[in-house]
Amino acid sequence: MSVLETPRIYFKGEVAWDPIVTNNFDTNYDETTGKTIYPSVVNRVKAFREQAIEEPGNWNPHGTHRAVLYETSVSGFDMGNGVNTDDPFVSAAVDFTAMLVDLEPYGTISSQLYFDAMRFGVDGGYRISAPRTSRVTARYINFARNSANKMIAGVASVVWQTSFAKTTGLRIDAFDSPLLQTLAGSIEQDDVLGLTVRFNTYRTIYYDNPDLTNGSLGAKAAAQALITKLKRGGFQPNPARSMVVGVVGLWRKLEPAYEPGDRVLIPATDSPIGSAYARLAKTTLTLDLSNSVPEVDKNLTKKDLGVLNVVAVDSAGQVVLNLGSFGYGEYNRAAYEMSAGIVSIPLAPGIAQSAVDSDLHLRDAAGTPLLEEMAVRAIPATPNLYLDEGEDVVTTFQAYIRGRLAASRVPVTLFQLGSGGTKLAEPRHLLTDSKGVLTLSLTKISEGITAYVPSLSSVDQPVNGINPQVSTYMYVRVRPGDAAVAALAPTWENVYSKVLANWSAMAPCMDNWLKLDDPVQIKAYASVLKRLTDPAQFENFSFMPVTRDLSAGERALLYNFLDSLDEGALGKPKTQKPLGPNFVELSRAMRRGSKE
Amino acid sequence: MIRLELTKLNTVQDAQSMLQTAIRVEFGTLPPYLYALYSIRPGMNAESRKLIKSVVLQEMIHMCLACNMLNALGGNPELLPQTYPGPLPGDIGPDGTPLTLHLYRFSTEAMAQAMAVEQPENPPNFPTGAVFETASTGAVTIGQFYHALDNFLASLPASAWQTGRNQIVDNQFFAGQLFAINNYAGAKNAIADIVSEGEGTKQGTTDDPLDFQGEVAHYYRFGEIYHNKVLTKSDNPLGYAWGPAELGVDWAGVYPAISDPSIHDFSKEPQEAQAAQNACNQAFSAMVDALQRAVTGEDGALGGAVQAMFRLRMAALHAFTVPLADHSHTAGPAFLYKSTQTGESV
Repeated sequence: MSVLETPRIYFKGEVAWDPIVTNNFDTNYDETTGKTIYPSVVNRVKAFREQAIEEPGNWNPHGTHRAVLYETSVSGFDMGNGVNTDDPFVSAAVDFTAMLVDLEPYGTISSQLYFDAMRFGVDGGYRISAPRTSRVTARYINFARNSANKMIAGVASVVWQTSFAKTTGLRIDAFDSPLLQTLAGSIEQDDVLGLTVRFNTYRTIYYDNPDLTNGSLGAKAAAQALITKLKRGGFQPNPARSMVVGVVGLWRKLEPAYEPGDRVLIPATDSPIGSAYARLAKTTLTLDLSNSVPEVDKNLTKKDLGVLNVVAVDSAGQVVLNLGSFGYGEYNRAAYEMSAGIVSIPLAPGIAQSAVDSDLHLRDAAGTPLLEEMAVRAIPATPNLYLDEGEDVVTTFQAYIRGRLAASRVPVTLFQLGSGGTKLAEPRHLLTDSKGVLTLSLTKISEGITAYVPSLSSVDQPVNGINPQVSTYMYVRVRPGDAAVAALAPTWENVYSKVLANWSAMAPCMDNWLKLDDPVQIKAYASVLKRLTDPAQFENFSFMPVTRDLSAGERALLYNFLDSLDEGALGKPKTQKPLGPNFVELSRAMRRGSKE
Repeated sequence: MIRLELTKLNTVQDAQSMLQTAIRVEFGTLPPYLYALYSIRPGMNAESRKLIKSVVLQEMIHMCLACNMLNALGGNPELLPQTYPGPLPGDIGPDGTPLTLHLYRFSTEAMAQAMAVEQPENPPNFPTGAVFETASTGAVTIGQFYHALDNFLASLPASAWQTGRNQIVDNQFFAGQLFAINNYAGAKNAIADIVSEGEGTKQGTTDDPLDFQGEVAHYYRFGEIYHNKVLTKSDNPLGYAWGPAELGVDWAGVYPAISDPSIHDFSKEPQEAQAAQNACNQAFSAMVDALQRAVTGEDGALGGAVQAMFRLRMAALHAFTVPLADHSHTAGPAFLYKSTQTGESV
């Protein structure tokens, strides 16, 4: 299944992250209501912007939310015979620009990338052209990826995934590339929906300085230098940047689009490594370790865990089968970058069948478990869901058993957590249907952010908040109705103070595109504003506001104002056991990292 | 092609002078490209807009890299805006004929001009050594120009280079594309980037339309618009052909803007049109001044320059919508510069 079958294509490079992080702080932004928290002064937008610059830990008040892959290209491929680089498509550039938006801005585990298209190669040449089917979603954040890089979220790595349907414009221009010819042929299979792209981002650096550490003199100096620069004026974004390795592969029917649906191996107690995904085929066991083995320094040296063994265990945890082994040379930095962390282990004939119904474990040479399979997973159909207050929706979780669709009823305990990890309701003990589908009706949910966390065993209960290495989850953000705002007279004063000022305060970068405090510009761009804020454009790169927190009431007021303008005014011609650390705390600590 | 006079380089000062010319060339291409870009009506010609914008951004990067090289050699970059119509710095154009640049709205004329600026040439019988052995009085392409510069820079001792002097890097903008130049190796990389992004690369004696990153080079991007065809891999001996896929150009999707507004008499135009011109010129001047500060090492000035660019963009987009007295035309920015440092108005 998935990117773990062949053919698959590897890419690597770097990504620049330029989010506005002012809304990561509860002193600046109320994520329940989606409203800016202004200082009590007359010119509150100006004062808010000045306050945001001084906010300890706010490393990018002038961000744009843009995320751009750069120096990223196809690095190799596997057509079933191991990593290969002999194809004209290798070295093709990867072109991807997106908007990085967190559904739950205070934390770090609900990130998404909104984009219009992804392209590998060049128009007119060897190319995979992939218009968006759905946004990219982040899951399985690994808070322990690189403890040598303790600067804000620099310790972490994340799995990102999206999928592209072949029915929505996906195009492969193969010419004489055997790789692309094979891929194009493979996606013609009836049960192939298109392509999945999965990538891992890691070693994030801030202030363009890899040597910084939270609380260090250097970090403080860098923060102060940014403040000085911001106060001097101009447009002063301060993007972070990460390394990227990724893989492109087949997306088959019933596979989740947004997160790995393969067999999942989660960290064993006290394991130094992060979760992994596995596919067991007749002759090969494929492991995705892209998010797993930590680096031990800033040079990205992989931790040497010695020879690692994959074993099948029975329900008592006894090893019933040794599937295979691989050494450091197959997971060190060079190997990691060559194959995006994917390791293939050849299997002896017949062995795979014997392991189909056993749990897979990854163990070191001494037999210490590092990763243990969590056989049953429930994956949300919509990992990050936005609703307006009063909107009802039916959504689902699909249960998978060892990477295959559950074919029977599966008991699920559904936890409901607030964004701060608080328990919002007693866990519900539910049962999927006979096809493993858990249906959830969301009705009359009030404003705010809720995480729905299915638990399928004793080890994945979100006792200390969501452990993203272990749990699957669905975040739901319900924007307030704001009926009172909608009912306001559509005057410039109202529309500015209740709607546009929020964006203007939070996103100084908007000055570069549209002065939100200038009624002349707002009038001149009325039609563009309506188009960009249209809910139908929600998935688009250029949707406004980029933070996707415009309430129905605010939109109504904005549109009433824009619609009230005559054509002339538009400027147009007249025409259970504790799981260790508190994951909420970990998630939010990254926001505070540079505050220390 | 951007053709430039090439004289024999003997001293670091010669190289500085050459780099100053290069900066003027890179900077001088921007107004014509921007005029065409901003003249496109909203919602129209999305692919063309994307291609032109991509070239504009790379020309900005090239200019910054040329400034970085000059700074590393101890020089002081000067941004000297030219007027339009006017010759490209270096005074030379295609086939030895000086190329006079105009401000044209998005049109075949504008794209033909852009292709003339970026046109590559394949000079297999023009070895680099010969370029140095005799002071050339003929025209050379930008590739040859930079190649000659590269060869001279390679001959300089390490002491000729200053580390970290007024360098513009990618910590804020243009991730992965802007880098510090502290030595010959950095300069060599910059030159390779500039040449290949403009003209493509060479495979033996054959011009390859793809640059070092595998992206289509500038000349061919403009060609795609001009021909309204996507440059496509082909079995023909050249390896590529225009089309068959169309790019989707709609030449009518453009504001009815006059050419060369700098030689237009705006005194008889409506006040709003005059105001729009003034706003553009002020924004352009502010941008030039901010950029000048950035390339000479003022911390944070690049952010000011980028903000000024956005203001220029807003002013230009507005200007293209303001009718002139004939009720059938508009005018984009004339890109007339007057220093804002002294407090004088444009």
